[in-house]
Amino acid sequence: MDLSQYAELFLAESREHLSACNQLLLEWERRPSSPEPVSGIFRAVHTVKGMAATMGYGRVADLAHRMENLLDHLRRSGKPPADEVLQLLFRATDTLEKAVGLAVTGRERDLDVSALAAELDRAVPKQPTTPSAAAPSSLSAAAALAASVPGAGRLVQVTIRPEAPLKGARAMLVIRKAQSLGTVHRIQPPPQAFEAEEFEGRVAFELDTNVAPAEIEAALRTVGDVERVSVGGGGDEGLAPAESVAASGRSRHIRVDLRRLDTLMDLIGELVTARGRLNEIAARWVGQDPAIDDIAIQVSRLSAELQSEIIQARMTPVWQVFDRFPRLVRDVARQLGKQVAFRVEGKEIELDRAILDELGDPLVHLLRNAVDHGIEPPAERKRHKKNPEGQIVLAAVRERSTVAISIADDGRGIDRDKILQKAKREGVVGPHVEALSDDQLLRVLARPGFSTADAVTAVSGRGVGIDVVLTRLRALGGSIEIRTEPGKGTAFVLRLPVTLAIVRALIAAVGQERYALPLTYVAETVEFGTTPMTTMEGRDAIVLRDRVVPLVDLRKLLGTNGGAPAPPPRRPVIVLEMGERRSGIVVDGMLSQQEIVVKGFDAPQGTLPVFSGATIMGDGVPALILDAAGLV
Amino acid sequence: MSHTVLVCDDAIFMRTMITDILAQAGFEVVGEAETGTQAVEKYRQLKPDLVTMDIVMPDMGGIDAVREIVKNDPDAKILMCSAMGQQALVVEAIQAGAKDFVVKPFQPSRVLEAVQRVLG
Repeated sequence: MDLSQYAELFLAESREHLSACNQLLLEWERRPSSPEPVSGIFRAVHTVKGMAATMGYGRVADLAHRMENLLDHLRRSGKPPADEVLQLLFRATDTLEKAVGLAVTGRERDLDVSALAAELDRAVPKQPTTPSAAAPSSLSAAAALAASVPGAGRLVQVTIRPEAPLKGARAMLVIRKAQSLGTVHRIQPPPQAFEAEEFEGRVAFELDTNVAPAEIEAALRTVGDVERVSVGGGGDEGLAPAESVAASGRSRHIRVDLRRLDTLMDLIGELVTARGRLNEIAARWVGQDPAIDDIAIQVSRLSAELQSEIIQARMTPVWQVFDRFPRLVRDVARQLGKQVAFRVEGKEIELDRAILDELGDPLVHLLRNAVDHGIEPPAERKRHKKNPEGQIVLAAVRERSTVAISIADDGRGIDRDKILQKAKREGVVGPHVEALSDDQLLRVLARPGFSTADAVTAVSGRGVGIDVVLTRLRALGGSIEIRTEPGKGTAFVLRLPVTLAIVRALIAAVGQERYALPLTYVAETVEFGTTPMTTMEGRDAIVLRDRVVPLVDLRKLLGTNGGAPAPPPRRPVIVLEMGERRSGIVVDGMLSQQEIVVKGFDAPQGTLPVFSGATIMGDGVPALILDAAGLV
Repeated sequence: MSHTVLVCDDAIFMRTMITDILAQAGFEVVGEAETGTQAVEKYRQLKPDLVTMDIVMPDMGGIDAVREIVKNDPDAKILMCSAMGQQALVVEAIQAGAKDFVVKPFQPSRVLEAVQRVLG
């Protein structure tokens, strides 16, 4: 049978297991005497091995097999692992992940795992009771690997029918049958588990035999009540003829190619646009035939439901990206000789898959910075009477239609004075500025190429990273905020729309053009002239409930030409709010509030950096979407 | 020639039922046993093609009877009859040499399937 159709499923599931493996290794590293992690790691590696063998990925299965040997030994010994053993397992997990990735692209042989395999083998004390496991010591590591492969048993996995009674007894019969074909090793779970009533009917073992895989399968099926048999290759063997892992999927979830969801989203987008047109036409014709109104309403309702379902289908919990960070933070900390306790909160918060995928890199940047520049070395922390172990918290929180993701450390904070000096030297701020607010600080830090290591020791490199992070967030319609206090730490807060594809927006008119402002950041609207006027840093501003809100006149900003009709006497002000910052956008008129479909937008050179995309209005005319982050 | 069967169970009801199921399918029940000791004795005398063996019987239990029978005839084809909740005992019986098992309440089709498997 063609196994390639299962490659993606194999990849996704293997990655999940390896991610779990990393989590458990971290836990084990923190509490080496705890017995739980090793069983979980063993199970994860074992599962990967089984799947890889089924797919015919001999090298992946072999590497997993060797890890499993070591884990099995550690599990049995019950002793806390030595640090070098843990580090070896970390490396092995990484390599296994790489091997999995290469295997599905058909490049399994690109990765040389012989040295690692030998290292794993060496870490397992030789057991005299299983002479076959010990390779002749005179051989080199690579030769030992090569020599051990042909002799290695086939991995056999059997699943008993779920409805079968006494699955454990049935599994025992499977083992007996296998023993009639050859030598059986490493039965998982061990046969004692068959005696438990709750045994769920999956058994795996290795079978040393000359019998062909197809015959092994046929023989084991004669045992009865066998749902599935998979016979893996022994090293270089070809594909297993068995049914695939996919066959056992009784889960109520299916995996869907993300591109499918994107296409669906695009189609829904067009439907929403068409719905808009239909509503406009219906409004004109309702006098002739009232039924058109009913049908328009029905189409509206159905498309709205469809849309919310499809958006829901795109929602992905943030842990899918966050789960790799504990390992990252640990690695960076270790490398830099820092002690860091890393905590993740709000793992279950969901974001549009497209946003989440884009978020990984910026977060990696910020986390690296937090470890590298935020957290002080243990000695320095002690001198300042701080816990030598620094804290970094990555937290996701849902705030109405946005998700806020914060990265907070309890490190040294950013040295504002140094940044200020540097900013003055470079003319980023005027010479009379005495202190930088958090906002100004961020603007300075985010200037491309602003910081250099020698000038801003406390935050070396941070500026460059922030620049990249800010650009990415802008593209996603998000924003970033910084809070920092000397000696106490630094926090970055990223705010993102929950979904990219469809947003509710305010449609405003300026001259003859229409512009869309996503409601995500609209706080309120007021009428120009009804609130007290003032100025702020030389800009017009209004006073709104004792707060000064600087104004941006879109007519002036966009250079609306004289051909446009004169502005009405009382112009509306749309107040945008992004974190602590506010800004009032002065427009000519407000037309409607509606859902718009966000289309990507490649701004021509020289375009003002205030547009985040474009949309098609109900009448088919395009309108630009204003980027709140660029206006506030 | 039809296959010969020895039915071992301490309950007459169960023996009758098994006998009926097997007889209707064309098997010849050549003997019955109420205890493990009887089962071992009758196996030696009758050399049946198949034995159905209850697990819990007075005097000598079914598992010990399997051990005894297999000791003398490693090829003996023994089908265990068990109730739900006896997984550990069935596993033990299989390790002792039983070839398959059926679970009460008996469904004729499942009993016959198991018999076919055991007789190969």
